[in-house]
Amino acid sequence: MLRVLRVIALIPRNAVVAVLHVYRAVISPLYGDVCRYYPSCSAYGLRSVQEHGVLKGAWLTTRRLARCHPWAEGGIDDVPLPAHSPYRRTRFGFITLERKA
Amino acid sequence: MDIIGGILWPIKWVIEAILVGFHSLLTMAGMESAAGITWVLSICGLVVVVRAALIPVFVRQIKSQRKMLEISPELKKIQDKYKGKKDQFSREAMSRDTMALYKKHGTNPLSSCLPLLLQMPIFFGLFSVLNDAYADRPGVGLLDARLSAEFGSAELFGIAPLGSSIASSEGNVAVIIIAVILVILMTGSQFITQLQIMSKNQSPEMKASPMYRQQRIMLYLLPLVFVFSGFAFPIGVMFYWFTSNIWTMVQQFIVIRNMPTPGSEAAQAREARLARKRQRKGIPDPDDEAPGTVAVEEPKKPQRQQPVSKQRAKKKKS
Repeated sequence: MLRVLRVIALIPRNAVVAVLHVYRAVISPLYGDVCRYYPSCSAYGLRSVQEHGVLKGAWLTTRRLARCHPWAEGGIDDVPLPAHSPYRRTRFGFITLERKA
Repeated sequence: MDIIGGILWPIKWVIEAILVGFHSLLTMAGMESAAGITWVLSICGLVVVVRAALIPVFVRQIKSQRKMLEISPELKKIQDKYKGKKDQFSREAMSRDTMALYKKHGTNPLSSCLPLLLQMPIFFGLFSVLNDAYADRPGVGLLDARLSAEFGSAELFGIAPLGSSIASSEGNVAVIIIAVILVILMTGSQFITQLQIMSKNQSPEMKASPMYRQQRIMLYLLPLVFVFSGFAFPIGVMFYWFTSNIWTMVQQFIVIRNMPTPGSEAAQAREARLARKRQRKGIPDPDDEAPGTVAVEEPKKPQRQQPVSKQRAKKKKS
């Protein structure tokens, strides 16, 4: 029962992941590589939503977008990862629960 | 007020202020207030203001592209390291290494998405202002009811209202023809600009990179986007876009001609041009000095000294 609830709680996160996937496949290529950071802002957004959920992910992404401007130094800027994640990424980047041991 | 309207409000206010500013300047200069040409020129004024504001970003980008030449040997090393590795992990590792290299040298050829993000709200703001004007609604700021009505019904070439689009033309042939022409012009100007940059102003290293291939695909994809989007946009917005493209084209032309990327085709063309000019005026090339001077500065050794082992050197002495 608890497991079902936890899967339901992951729905918004996975919905946003799907939207970001579509954005990265369709809209991102339209203007090519422009980001001064690695990973690019949209990759950062995707990863932060995967790892931290919609709210914290959105916050992290907003801060990153604010950091990314023509006068920024750029460089490598990874998403801060939680030490232990109860979730697992599937091949397509969606988030599911860790398999039962 | 909905969220998008709230975000657009200040942008619309600024756009209206610029438009009305140019419009009153033009009417002061003796142009007719309600004439289409006055409003069309006001849109050109908006383009000039927006693009002039983006010049510093552009200059910065060119400067860092110059710096790329200094790090190109190291860039080549990275490219060789991942040569032929097409899997995702190698690709990502390569981007990571490249980015670390940029950071190490304090340069970055990429401009971030800010220039794009900055232009998009202006574009949608103008779209919204024009739609309001076409629907006889007053603007949010300086564009009052009278000016808004004038703006909405102002006509490009005296036949197509700025606020109308193919979608809202209701079979007005003039609108459709002008919209189609604008789409073609927009696509053409974008295509030429991109082609100019790609074929003439890129170094051989750049042309070998995967980024270049991606740009090539883009080159043929973007015109398609224009064709589709062209149907829904009012003529005034398309005119703005077209004028903005012309600005980009001219800016790009000047840059490619006068400060080409070192090592690119355009740079070689510039060298040849400068050499011809010197020849015409009879000025000696500053790069190669007179033959005599080189010999004086570096007296050539007649023959290379053969290395001699310690033992043989001893033998010779004795």
